[in-house]
Parts: sequence; structure tokens; C-alpha cells
Amino acid sequence: MQINRSVTRFVVSLVAIAAMATASVRAAEDQKASAEKEKELLAILRSDSPKAEKAITCKLLAIHGSSESVSDLAELLADEQLSSWARIALEAIPGSVADEALRKAAASLEGLLLVGTINSIGVRQDANAVDLLATRMKDSDAEVASAAAVALGRIGNESATTTLRDSLATAPVKVRSAVAEGCVLCAERLHAAGKSDEAAEIYDEVRKAEVPQQRIIEATRGAILARNEEGIPLLQELFHSSDKKMFQLALGTVREFPGGTVDKALATELASATPDRAALIIQAMADRPETVVLAAVLQAASDGPKEVRLSALNALGRVGDATCLSTLLDAAIEADTDLSLAAKASLAELPSEKVDAQIVALLPKADAKSYPLLIELVGQRRIDAVPELLGALDHSDDKVRSAALAALGETVSLKRLSILVSQVVAPKHPEDAAVAQQALKAASVRMPDREACAAELAVALDRASGATKSTLLEILSDVGGTKALTTLGAAAKSADPELQDTASRLLGKWNGVDAAPVLLDLAKTAPAEKYQVRALRGYIGLARKFTMSDPDRAEMCQKALDISRQPAEQKLVLDVLALHPSAEALTLAISAMQTPGLKQDATQATLVIAQKIGGKVDVSEQLAKAGLDKVKVEIVKAEYGAGSTQKDVTAVLRKHVGDLPLIALTSSNYNTSFGGDPVPGNVKRLRVQYRLNGKAGEASFAENDLIILPMPK
Amino acid sequence: MSETRKQLHRRRFLKSALTATGAAVMAPTIIPSSALGRDGAVAPSERVVIGGIGIGRRGTYDLSCFLEQPDVQFVAVCDVKEARRTAVKKIADTQYGNQNCATYRDFRELLDRSDIDGVLIATGPNWHATAAMTAAKAGKDMYCEKPVTKNISQSLILAETMRRTGRVFQAGTQRRNLPHFAFACELARTGKLGKLTKVYAHPMGMQALMSGWLPAEPEPDQEVVDWNMYLGPAAWRPFNPKLLDGFNFEKGGGFVGAFNGGGVLEWGSHCVDLCQWAVGDCLPPVEYNAPKDGQLVARYENGTELIFRETGWIPLGSCPVRFEGESGWVEAGDSGKLVLSSPALLAGRTVEEIGGYPATFHVRDFLDCVKTRSQPKGNADAACNAHIACHAANIALHLGRQVKYDNVTHEFIDDEAANRLRSEALREPWRL
Repeated sequence: MQINRSVTRFVVSLVAIAAMATASVRAAEDQKASAEKEKELLAILRSDSPKAEKAITCKLLAIHGSSESVSDLAELLADEQLSSWARIALEAIPGSVADEALRKAAASLEGLLLVGTINSIGVRQDANAVDLLATRMKDSDAEVASAAAVALGRIGNESATTTLRDSLATAPVKVRSAVAEGCVLCAERLHAAGKSDEAAEIYDEVRKAEVPQQRIIEATRGAILARNEEGIPLLQELFHSSDKKMFQLALGTVREFPGGTVDKALATELASATPDRAALIIQAMADRPETVVLAAVLQAASDGPKEVRLSALNALGRVGDATCLSTLLDAAIEADTDLSLAAKASLAELPSEKVDAQIVALLPKADAKSYPLLIELVGQRRIDAVPELLGALDHSDDKVRSAALAALGETVSLKRLSILVSQVVAPKHPEDAAVAQQALKAASVRMPDREACAAELAVALDRASGATKSTLLEILSDVGGTKALTTLGAAAKSADPELQDTASRLLGKWNGVDAAPVLLDLAKTAPAEKYQVRALRGYIGLARKFTMSDPDRAEMCQKALDISRQPAEQKLVLDVLALHPSAEALTLAISAMQTPGLKQDATQATLVIAQKIGGKVDVSEQLAKAGLDKVKVEIVKAEYGAGSTQKDVTAVLRKHVGDLPLIALTSSNYNTSFGGDPVPGNVKRLRVQYRLNGKAGEASFAENDLIILPMPK
Repeated sequence: MSETRKQLHRRRFLKSALTATGAAVMAPTIIPSSALGRDGAVAPSERVVIGGIGIGRRGTYDLSCFLEQPDVQFVAVCDVKEARRTAVKKIADTQYGNQNCATYRDFRELLDRSDIDGVLIATGPNWHATAAMTAAKAGKDMYCEKPVTKNISQSLILAETMRRTGRVFQAGTQRRNLPHFAFACELARTGKLGKLTKVYAHPMGMQALMSGWLPAEPEPDQEVVDWNMYLGPAAWRPFNPKLLDGFNFEKGGGFVGAFNGGGVLEWGSHCVDLCQWAVGDCLPPVEYNAPKDGQLVARYENGTELIFRETGWIPLGSCPVRFEGESGWVEAGDSGKLVLSSPALLAGRTVEEIGGYPATFHVRDFLDCVKTRSQPKGNADAACNAHIACHAANIALHLGRQVKYDNVTHEFIDDEAANRLRSEALREPWRL
């Protein structure tokens, strides 16, 4: 993987940025702009500005700083509060001056500040710091010594590597883990550079050292991979280890191993492993699909302990081929449900077209137990075997007929769709009707030409009985398209109450604006009022859900308002307008204020829209005409919380007060707007005492409600 | 379709979705029958012993997914906030009917426990990468919430560290284990949409938030809130309770002026991750253009475009993605729904059959891989590539111009300003 090697390159490149920067005109321009900015920033750093400002300045110098800033930043390395900020800049500024400053600081600092400085030296991979770090690795402070060891590992040149290797046996116990980490980092670098023999030597040294097990795990992994095929014996040792972690390491490492030799070793291990380990080895084998020893997995799937078979049956679905078919078929009809399900799942996935041909060939001679299974597989694998399936439709066993219908649902083309239509409209066996309907639906929704499919279903409607008509309408709804839409529209206006109900329900949840004209027409002319309301709600839902231009949405809302007779639908329209604010929406909401019984909701919608678009459009004149003059809003007190835990949010609300009785916070989430959740896990309310034009009022809002202050009486 | 068959179908589908890449394979749930005790409980030797680090609101949800699994034993919680330690201990102790869940303020003490196999890291994003790499070096596997890293450097080192230490890493990108997203990605990846031309992500709010240095307020007792450990690898600043919202604190991906607040990272780590999956988990885009008309267009080496955009989505819930090929398209979102250019793409399935929200799949995927040592779907390499795409987009946003990224050197080409934004020093004593 490229990422592996590029980590090293990435860090090296940080150091080399200066040379790269001159390569383009933009870089030169950037440098010029940064030089100007750097002067301003240095002035802040040298001033009596508060530390908060200096902290941000350090961060800006990470972008704009140059060698000119280094000495000022280096002074902050001894400041407990600003050291970490200074290092943000010092790690980023290219060139040797920053390296020198960090080295100089590392010679005199102590404790955590020294640790941080050493860490930064490691990030910058300062090759000139090896001697300093070698000294610091002997520091009496284990944290300092450990930081130095890891920094040497990050530098990873010859002298750093030698220093670390020499210290592995002698370093104090508390530091040795970090020394081992440094050694492994060096070895990784060598291996990536093709120096695998030297890398293997280092890994072996770490493996033999008295270091924490995790370091040994890392070194052992490296020792195996660095040796390539010669590492296989060591890998096999791990497979035999009584230590679970070492066995797990083997499972992980084998997935990284190149070539095919290791697969043979895995097959050998599988044969002698305990059942619980064998099950896991099979999964590792299956994760190497290009080189897996399939015969070994197949054998494991055939017989033996259940957990091993289960794992092998599962693996065959990923790495098996036509040679595995009979084993899987046998397992799929076993009495053990776990094994049967695992085999069936793999049969459905088994790669290779040969498998399809073999399954079809087996159909005529299948026994009673395997016949439904084979038919099911025809469907699951979408094998074109319609003649064979047609034959099965007349079978005396209802399980066979059901499997055949389901398989037809998965496989018939449009030309053969009539087979399933007939099974739905006039089933030979009434008990198969439900399965046939499901199959027809499955077939219909996958037809590439949905208009042609819908046309065939529409024709079938005429010859279907009552309940079946509804089923066909449901399927048409799933198919979608123009023909389906018009067919449903006609059914909704038919004389049959059941069809009216079904069709209007399906149209009400239609997922496309193409249904708008049909729904609007139904809202006016459906045979029963309840279906008119249903259609109207569906129509409003389209205006709410779908992307469209502001005028188009307003036009839909206007039409909906024109025919709405109930406040419930009218309020739904106002919700749409508030949700999609625009100049057109504002006009409509203001107009709705004249509708009896709707004034309060329309006023609220108007305020919301005005607030949302107010920054882009001058809405004051429109509001004034609507009687919504500007109002003087004063927040007396505001608290947010639950029970006795209340947070004073008066200042936050005051900050967002405008000249409308609506307060729009920075976020619709109260917790975000009010600087955190005052009572996590509890239902909270916002309580506000206020004055509008001098009149005192009080209101309470549920969490995240829109804040509209009612006019005090 | 019966529920059992649906489950089987989904698991099978998820598996095939992965094998198509040949890169990673979802392991089956293998709990050998020999491991099951007479009462159906999992034998101690087969349990995965888990500790929690930083379990807040999201972490509590994650924890509930872990506790649903019969082979999980949750034994310890670490949090810098006493209230959270107490609350999580109560959840665990209630689950097991004992008082055994240990509590820690410093996660290094939890990592020192040899009985713990893996950790759930659900701290604020400030800590994710540092805690994950510390856990890896301590020999723990981990499920780590997203965003996983704060910059490009962390992303690269994360992938390298997980490989070197042989650890199983699962990023909290649970949508990789949701069937409808997996289906959409498979359509894109396997050529069913024709040659892939555009993948769209909805980062939802392409701007960063502030979490800088606020005025000092009295610091609580260390046992109540350990401010030093809360800051962790973030540069020092005085205590201020407004910064205690770990979810937004020092999230990474934002820069000076409005820094460390996420940018495209918060949602990008999900939706860009799905786009990465759709393009076959290849290396991240090589070119990121300046934002224009509410969208930012990035380009992969093969010419496919990754488009970050705020609007123009079919209403399918949060975190929508859209994949367009030369012969078809698919769009999916958190509603569990899919919209496709043609019903033929469903190949006989229905959207309802594919959809659903079995969020525990992602946790199960992790636990299975802890046992098999396979790579989970949200593995470190996948997370690394998706996060680099987000970080690079953030850099283009910050600079307001095009940047070009070299996936071999992991540098921006001839671009010092961009290159300086690839990394950021950690506060002492933390290192990666």
C-alpha cells in the first residue's frame, strides 16, 4: 500500500517545503503576502497583548511564519501556556533555523515542555538532533527518555538506528518499550526501502528483548514479512502458539503475506488445528481469494466439527467455484439449520457461470428434497430457465410451485411477464395467489421499460376481480411512470369504492412531482370528500418535499389554498411556505392572513419567512401593509433548562433581538445556540420574560421551538 | 419475505458488496457452538472484553449496540467527566447486575489492563486519533468514532500505526454497514451505472466553527472535570465551560480565523467515505477546486469527480450521497430509501427489502473482525483516504483556490501554503 511508505515521505517533505516553494509563481506571491502578514504577527507576539491573542498569533505563524519568526516563537517554548501553540508554528516553518531552535530548547528545557519539544524534533525528522536525542534517551525522566527514543525512530537514519539498537538491552525498563518502538519504526523504514535483511535483524532483536508483549507482536509481524517466504516457519510457530495473541497475530499477518506459498502452509495448519482455531484459519484463507487452496476449504466444508464446517461453507461463497456445488447442495438440505442456511447463502453467491448451467442441468433429475432448493437457486442467481420453471408450476407439491413462482419473479423478462400476470388474475391453484402476487411485483419493479410493463398491468386490470384489481394497482404504484399514474388516476375516479380508496391512497404517497396535476384534479373531483382531502394532502406533500423553483412552489401552494376547505390543510400549506421561504411565499402568507380562522398561523408563517429572507430582500413595506409594523422588543429575562437547573440565556437572546417579535438564533438547536446542554438527558424548556412596545409578556418554548413572542394583551 | 430471510439477504448482500472489491471481506458471525454455555451465554474464553473511553451521547448509543451483542463484556469506562463515568458505570452495572464496571479518569490506566481486548473511543474528535494510536500501541483493537483525524498527517500515521501494530480498527462510519448505502455503493463500484462520472457528498455546512481561547473561569475539581486530560493533544487554554462540548471542540479541519471546527469533516467523514467506497476505495482525489455556487468539485486521478454540495438533493434524509455513471444514477440517504434512474437497477429487489437500519451491523462487523483478524469495513486505510479527501477539501475552502494533491508523496504540488496545513503539533506529552 502506498500509504505505508508515504508516511515517511510525508514527514520528510515537511522539511523540504522551502525548496519546493520557489517552484511556482503562486508560491512566490504567497511568500510575499505572508511576509507582510508575518510582520504584523510578530508585532503582536512582541507586544503586551493577552496570551489568548498570542496563542492565535502562533497558529497564524504556522501559515505565514518564516525563519524571521523562529526566535520569538522559541522564547515561548518555556512558557507552560504558550509552548504548545509555539510548537504548532515551529513544526510547520520550513528550514534549519527552526530545527536549531528546537534543538537549543531541548538542551535546556525539562519535564513536559522538554517532552513536547523532543516530539516536535521527531516530527521534523531533524537528522542533526541524533546526538542530542541519544543523550536525552539517558535522561532520568522516563517520559523524556521515551520521547527521545521515539523521535530517533521517526528520524530513522543510520546513526539513529544504531543508537536505538545499542540501547535496547540496556535502557531502563520504563524506557525500553519506547526504544523498541523506535527500533521497529527504523526497521519498517528499512524494509520499505528494500533493506529487508537489516530490518529482519532489528525485528529479531526486539523480539528477544525484555519489552512489553505488544512490541514483540509488532516485531514478530515485521520479522515474518521482512523475510518473505523464509518467514513462513515463524508464522507457523505462531499458529501453534498457546498464546491467543500470537495466534491472532498469525491470522492478521497471513492476510498481508505476498505470494501463494503461504496458502499451502495455511492448508497444512488447517488440517492439524483445533476446531475453534480451524474455523478462524478458514476465514483467513478465504481472505486470500487469489491463492487460496480451495480443496482444503472444500474438505473442511464436507465433514468434521460443526464450527469448522460452518466457517468453510461460508468461505465457499466467497472463494468457491463449480467444483464446490455438490458439497454445498448436500449441506443445504441437511437437517441442521445453521449449516443449511450457511450453504444456501453461499450457493446464492458462488461465482462462476458454470454453476448456473450445472444447476439447470440438475433440475430434471432432482429428488423431492433438492428440487425446491434448485428452483430457489435459479431465482436467487437469476438464471434464465423459464421453461424449466413453467414445468414446475404444475407440480403437486405447493413448496415447488411457490419456489417456481418466486424464481419467475426474479427472472422473467417483459415478454414473459404475462405468465405471472395470468397466475395473479386467474391462478390455477388459489393457495398460490399470494406468492404469485409477490412474484409479479418483484418482476414488475425490475422491468427496464416501466411504461410497457405498466401498460400490460393496466390491461390486466380490466379482466381482474375486485381484490386482485387492488393488488395490481399496488404493483403499478411501485412501478411508477406516466402510464401507472394515469391508470391510478382513472381508478380513483371509478365507480368502485374499493378502487377509489386504494388508488387515492397510492396517489397520496406518490414520490414524484409528476403526480401533481393528477392529485390536484382528484382534490377537486374525487367521488368522495375523504378522497379529495387525501389527494389534497398528497398534493401539498409534493410541494413540501420536492426541489422546484420558488414561483412554481408558490403556485402549487396557491392552488392548494384555493381549494382547501379545512384549516388543517391550510396550515399544512403555510408550513410549506415557511419551510421554503421566498418573496413569493411571503406574498402568499400575507394574503392568507385575510382568510378567516387562519390569521394567527398565517401571521406566524409571515414572520418566519420575513425573518429568513429579510437579509436579502426589503420586506418592511410588505409587512407594514399587512399590519405587521416594526415592534420594539426587549428581553427582560430568559432561562433555559429543566427543573432547578436553569441557565441564564438572557444575553444570548438579547443579542439576536430585531424589530420583529421573532428571535432567530444562530442554530435551530438550542443547546448549540446557548453554549451547551445545561441538563443532558432531560426535557428542557426556554422561558422568556419580555416587553413588546413596552407591554410585558411571558412565554415558554419547548426545546428547539421557533421563538415567536406573542403580543401581550 | 420472512424476517430471517431478509436478514440473511442483507448479510449476504453486505458480504458480496465487499468481495466485489477484493479488498476486504465481511467476516461471518462465528461463535462456535462449543463456546456457548448451556444457558446460551457465551463462554468467557470467547468473549470480547471491551472498555469505553469518553462515552457521551453518541458513545452511549454505540455502547448500547455493543451491549446487545452476547459475546461482549464491557468492564470499564474512562471519562474526564465524573458525571459521565458514573452514568456509564450505571448502564454497565445494570446490564450485568453487578457493580463491576471500573472507572478511570486517565485512559492510559484503562489501557494498562491486560484483560481488555478492545476499546470504544467516543471522545470528542480532538482526542480520536491520539487515543486510537495510544490504544493500538497498548495492544488494543478499537471502534473509534468519527471524524477520526484532525489533519492529513494524522490520517496517514493512523493507517500506518494500525498496520504496524496489527490492530483491528473500525471507524464509526456505520453507514458502510447499512444495506441501502452498501447497495448504492455496489451499483457504482461494479459498473452497473456505467462508467462512473460523478459522486456527490453532502457535507452539510461547509464552514468551520471557533473553539479558540475563551476567558478563564474557575476550574472545577480535577475529579469532576479533568481539564488537562480534556484538552489532551489540543494546545493549552484556560478552563471555560463553553469549551466542554467535546463534540465540537478542536474538531480539526478548520483553520486560522475560524479554526478547528470541522468544515466538511463532520458529515464528510460519512458521506465522503461512502463516495470513496463507491469509487472502489481508491486513493483520494488529486485536485480540489475553489468552492463555487455552493459546491466544491474535486477530481480523482481517473477523472471521476467528487462533488461536495449543499443543495440539489432529493429529500431522502440526512447524509445523502449520489452516484452518477454514464448509464444510470442512484441517490440514497438516511431515510433508508434509494432513488434510482431505473427500477432495473434494483434487479428484482425492492427498496423496502434493501433498506432498514440495523445499526448494530457495524459493531458486529468490528467484533467479528476482532476474532477473525480480518479487516472491518471502516478500516484504517479506508478511513485514511476518506479523511484525506475531507482535509484537502477543507484546505481548498480555506485558501479559496484550487489545490493539487500527490497521492505518492502526500504533498500538495508546488503549494507551500497548502502543505503547511497538513499537520499540527500536539500538546505535550502527546505524540502519534
